[in-house]
Amino acid sequence: MTRQRLWRRIRQDYGPYLPLSPYLFVVLFPFYWMLITAFKRDSDLYNLTTAPFWFKEPPTLAHVKLLLEGTLFLTWLQNSLLIGVLVVLITLALALPAAYALARMRFWGSQTLSTGMFLSYLIPPTLLFLPLSQLVRGLGFTDSIWALVAVYPSFTLPFCTWLLMGFVRTVPREIEESAQIDGCTRLQAFRMIILPVIVPGIITAGIFAFTLTYQEYIYALTFVSASANKTISYGVTTDLVRGDVFYWGSLMSGALIGALPVAIVYAFSLDHFIHGLTAGALK
Amino acid sequence: MANGQNVEAAVAVPATRVAVRGSWAAREGVQGFLWIGPAFLYLAFFIAYPFIMSIYLSLSNARVGSTEYHFVGLQNYQRLFADPTFWQTVRNSFVFTFGSEIIRLLIGLPLAFSLNRTFKGKRVVQGLILIPFVIPIALSSLAWKWMFDSLYSVINWMLMRVGLIDYPWQWLGEPGLAMWSVIIMNVWRGFPFSAVILLAALTAVPQEIIEAAKIDGAGPLRRFHYVVVPMIRPILFVGLLYSIVFSFTDFSSVWLLTQGGPYNTTHVFGTYAYNIGINAGDIGQGAAITLFIFPFLAAIVIVMLRFLRRE
Repeated sequence: MTRQRLWRRIRQDYGPYLPLSPYLFVVLFPFYWMLITAFKRDSDLYNLTTAPFWFKEPPTLAHVKLLLEGTLFLTWLQNSLLIGVLVVLITLALALPAAYALARMRFWGSQTLSTGMFLSYLIPPTLLFLPLSQLVRGLGFTDSIWALVAVYPSFTLPFCTWLLMGFVRTVPREIEESAQIDGCTRLQAFRMIILPVIVPGIITAGIFAFTLTYQEYIYALTFVSASANKTISYGVTTDLVRGDVFYWGSLMSGALIGALPVAIVYAFSLDHFIHGLTAGALK
Repeated sequence: MANGQNVEAAVAVPATRVAVRGSWAAREGVQGFLWIGPAFLYLAFFIAYPFIMSIYLSLSNARVGSTEYHFVGLQNYQRLFADPTFWQTVRNSFVFTFGSEIIRLLIGLPLAFSLNRTFKGKRVVQGLILIPFVIPIALSSLAWKWMFDSLYSVINWMLMRVGLIDYPWQWLGEPGLAMWSVIIMNVWRGFPFSAVILLAALTAVPQEIIEAAKIDGAGPLRRFHYVVVPMIRPILFVGLLYSIVFSFTDFSSVWLLTQGGPYNTTHVFGTYAYNIGINAGDIGQGAAITLFIFPFLAAIVIVMLRFLRRE
């Protein structure tokens, strides 16, 4: 093979991957670093004389053990999952009829309402955490995960309604109209025609509601303080730093295991996720 | 009742589409509210009401742990305007937001181009690239805090080994550098989003148009500047808008990396408001700080919407 042909072969086979490799390295390195830190012995972790990228001493489970036995990690995980599922249900229950009404019905103020739905992005959690901390205390949810269940739909609902509106609009009106001729009420048409058709949209909205909920930080930090009521990201980031001491091994194992549920949901719904991401931004 | 049904049936039988729509539409005025009511009430109670409450709080002397507070006028705002840290926070927020945004685009664009073709394993690569955006930032920020550690920073280890630096940098401890560290992490987390939006935009450009430009003798740069950019500009702006709002209102990544330090050089609106409102317990003052997010966001959005409309 001449050099030229060899070069062409290389470009053909690896061309698309070459520019991507630095990106993949940057994206994935922190996770590799977490993984290796989670299983290194402390003496190995704090020894920088040689390359730190692999085990110089046998790996250990001590950090994971401290995480599981020395903290309420499993409770946090349970809290986060419970909150996530409940918020998804509440969000969908409120967003589905709202999205249908905004996409299909014309009534007084419907235009304003749909703009308002969009504009509620402008009032993000960072702006609301102080008054909401007073509000949830007023509701009797002092230091409780129910405060989070109550408040989290405030950022999932606008996004999911917006997303679902797009899906409802893709259903041809004619189908509904023929259902109407057959004597269906709106509710029946919605249940039997719209809902089955927009299942992909419902899944996408559910995934987003879950991911956004699972990522939330400032509300959890503000409304909850007892360790047993913390969510995963709040618990891991606070309870493994004692005074000035960072338990790096346990911190990294907590971050990794804590990220797993989202990673799994994400891996199984990649296409929905990317679709939702672009749809949310493009519509 | 039976009579009413007959009348409706009689109207519906000649069933032109318009007439059919009419019979549902007649009740839309009331029905619409029933359908949207729950969501509307929820948002009114958990967004609109607290927003108004936060305006009132900013005019009061509310403190954490005490239920009694009263109106103090513009006192909180006067204190804020006289507070050099607040002005530093404003500046930091802009540097953080627009610094991150520019770098994200610069990094995201080549990535979007590299992804805008078919190759084996594209789905997997795309899935991996998006991971930083999906994993809770609170958790991945721990990895960055560890990589930026003052003694055991692996980044320092690599840079020193390559010879780019000759002493360990204090990534989170030096005033100027800390802002860069926060931006680096924010870019890491956000550029996958920028790239996916850009990719969606690029895919929407019809291949025929590109081919036509190619035939007319336009090189890659010209094709990009004169053909691709004008076509994807609207999408680009909406994507940009989202991501700016996202950065501008960020709290957790800055809080977890630096808590606003060293010497307040990385405080953004969210972290400073939390520090004053919760840690120092001065809810009134904190609310005043958070309210400043609103006009800035509104200004950014208005500018961008104008631009979009002009397109």
